[in-house]
Amino acid sequence: MNKLWWLLLTIVCLAGAGFLILKIFPDQRPNAAAPATAVNRIVSLAPNLTEILFALGLGEKVVAVSSDSDYPPEAANKNKVGTFWQPNTEAIIASKANLVITECFEQQKSVAVTLHRLGYRVLPLKIESIEAMLTAIKDIGDATGTQNRADKLDEDITNRLDNLRSKLAARNKVKVLWVVQTEPLRVAGTNTFLNELLELVGGENAIGPTIQQYPPLGTEELLACGAQAIIQSAMGVDNIPEQQQAAEKFWGRWPTLPAVRNNRIYVIDPDTTLRLGPRLCQGLDLVAHCLHPDMDGHE
Amino acid sequence: MTQVLTAKSLGIRITLCLAALAVVMCLCALMGSQKVSLRKVLTGPGSSPGENIDYEILVGIRLPRVILAALVGAALACSGVVLQAILRNPLADPYILGISSGAGLGAIAAVLSGATWSFWGGSPIAAFAFAGAIVTVWLVWLIGRAAGKSQITNLLLAGVVINAFLSAVIMFLTSIARSDQVHSTIFWLMGNITEKGPSALGVSAGCILAGTVGLFGVSHRLNILSLGEQEAKSLGVDTAKTQIVAFALAAFITAIAVSLSGLVGFVGLVVPHGVRLVCGPDHRHLLPISAIIGGAFLVAADTLARIIVAPAQLPVGVITAIAGGPFFLVLLARHSRKISWLK
Repeated sequence: MNKLWWLLLTIVCLAGAGFLILKIFPDQRPNAAAPATAVNRIVSLAPNLTEILFALGLGEKVVAVSSDSDYPPEAANKNKVGTFWQPNTEAIIASKANLVITECFEQQKSVAVTLHRLGYRVLPLKIESIEAMLTAIKDIGDATGTQNRADKLDEDITNRLDNLRSKLAARNKVKVLWVVQTEPLRVAGTNTFLNELLELVGGENAIGPTIQQYPPLGTEELLACGAQAIIQSAMGVDNIPEQQQAAEKFWGRWPTLPAVRNNRIYVIDPDTTLRLGPRLCQGLDLVAHCLHPDMDGHE
Repeated sequence: MTQVLTAKSLGIRITLCLAALAVVMCLCALMGSQKVSLRKVLTGPGSSPGENIDYEILVGIRLPRVILAALVGAALACSGVVLQAILRNPLADPYILGISSGAGLGAIAAVLSGATWSFWGGSPIAAFAFAGAIVTVWLVWLIGRAAGKSQITNLLLAGVVINAFLSAVIMFLTSIARSDQVHSTIFWLMGNITEKGPSALGVSAGCILAGTVGLFGVSHRLNILSLGEQEAKSLGVDTAKTQIVAFALAAFITAIAVSLSGLVGFVGLVVPHGVRLVCGPDHRHLLPISAIIGGAFLVAADTLARIIVAPAQLPVGVITAIAGGPFFLVLLARHSRKISWLK
């Protein structure tokens, strides 16, 4: 057993050495994250954050974006710093950013922590609902000194949402199945922001509460749900008409479903509806017109 | 196996391998999606972030990552050697006794709980994964013991069954998780080396080095143990004690490696076999050389993962399997006639 004690001692010593190294190279620079003088080089790690930045008139100051930031078209020409799921810390540093805006899930959080440790200014934002998106717009406004434009954008979106809500309040609720994937079939559950969008435009989720956020659906539940309309997020924006045809063929297997019987299957642009960004109102209009085809023209 | 292992030849081999590791680490630190000028690095850090980018990229991002990869590779390869010896099974790898699924369960629990505190510079994922790994291994050990005398088979069976059971729990949790949580977990399960802070690196380097040194201390007894438990006992080796010590240390360093980088596969299985095929099965050099080569292998694999699809990155587990598999098969074809597996 003597040797075991020696071993324990070695472990303790080496761990102690680890702490000593820690003191020599502190985890964080002493003057880290001092409020930046003027934010003029911004990096965005998510497409919706990029859209918010451009909507606030900060397009010129954005120096690099995640590779899936494709709107507005100017954003697609910016330097790329890795994907949404795997940002590249080296590329972010090389872009000489003085503000990095990130999402809050694990991969981006770890990048944010590293950058913060090196003294960079990071703004991590959690955007999972419309409410959170509005808050995020204000946070970005505060961080970049564009409070006025942020307030204006916030007001704009809130007004359009209220407008839509009041216009649709008197209408009957349409039962909708929001399909995120067809094989295997997965739909948006009640605990998602897609559900929030649906309820905003006078729809209701055809399926009840589930423990999964995006539950897989068996044929039995599918036939029992009585969906009056099916909304399917397209995969990419290039060939939506073909995807529409394919979807109609796919759903043709269940002619008893009201949505299929009345041919109310809509394949829609994923970018405006799935991104919680400034184009959300366009997406909502799109969904509203799918659910209420008799609604008067686009706003 | 006529050659005799002397302290001198062991020392020379280890020094050569360490030098190779150092060269690999330096080369890999200089490669990446961004070009780094050494001259600018030497001017030291600027007073504000963004002033000396080259220094920040090399010292702040790449070096910690290269060191982390070396540590994880060393721990996994070392633990692979030990488990193959204790279990006397060529298919054994560091994950065979449930560490992977235990750590995976811990990681997904951390992601689902949304905890955000940090601990010695580690994230909740690292802490939960470490705890999950240690608890699972301990459980497997207890069950294997309780099941009776032919310990090795029982241990293996307990490990396999607990692995399967916990994997099912992981799948259940994944199916109810949010899509961003699922993504985070999947990247973790594929093995993902990211930048870690100096404190996390320092502590884990201490633990892994200590564990490796400790295992080296019992390596001569592993030689005897791999002949079989009865034979080892008749030669005067306290098999139970050796097994416990080696097993505990191997589990400990694997748990640390896993908590740092997720489930990096293949290193722990292939590197020990590769080294065994080239250098022979004597654990006194098999163990340290595997650790060093494992480190170098993972550093190289991680560098490929960083640059192949730059500016995006691949999970390192993809590279270890794709690059390691064919390389190992070549070794197998060339050397297996010289050496049969153990004995």
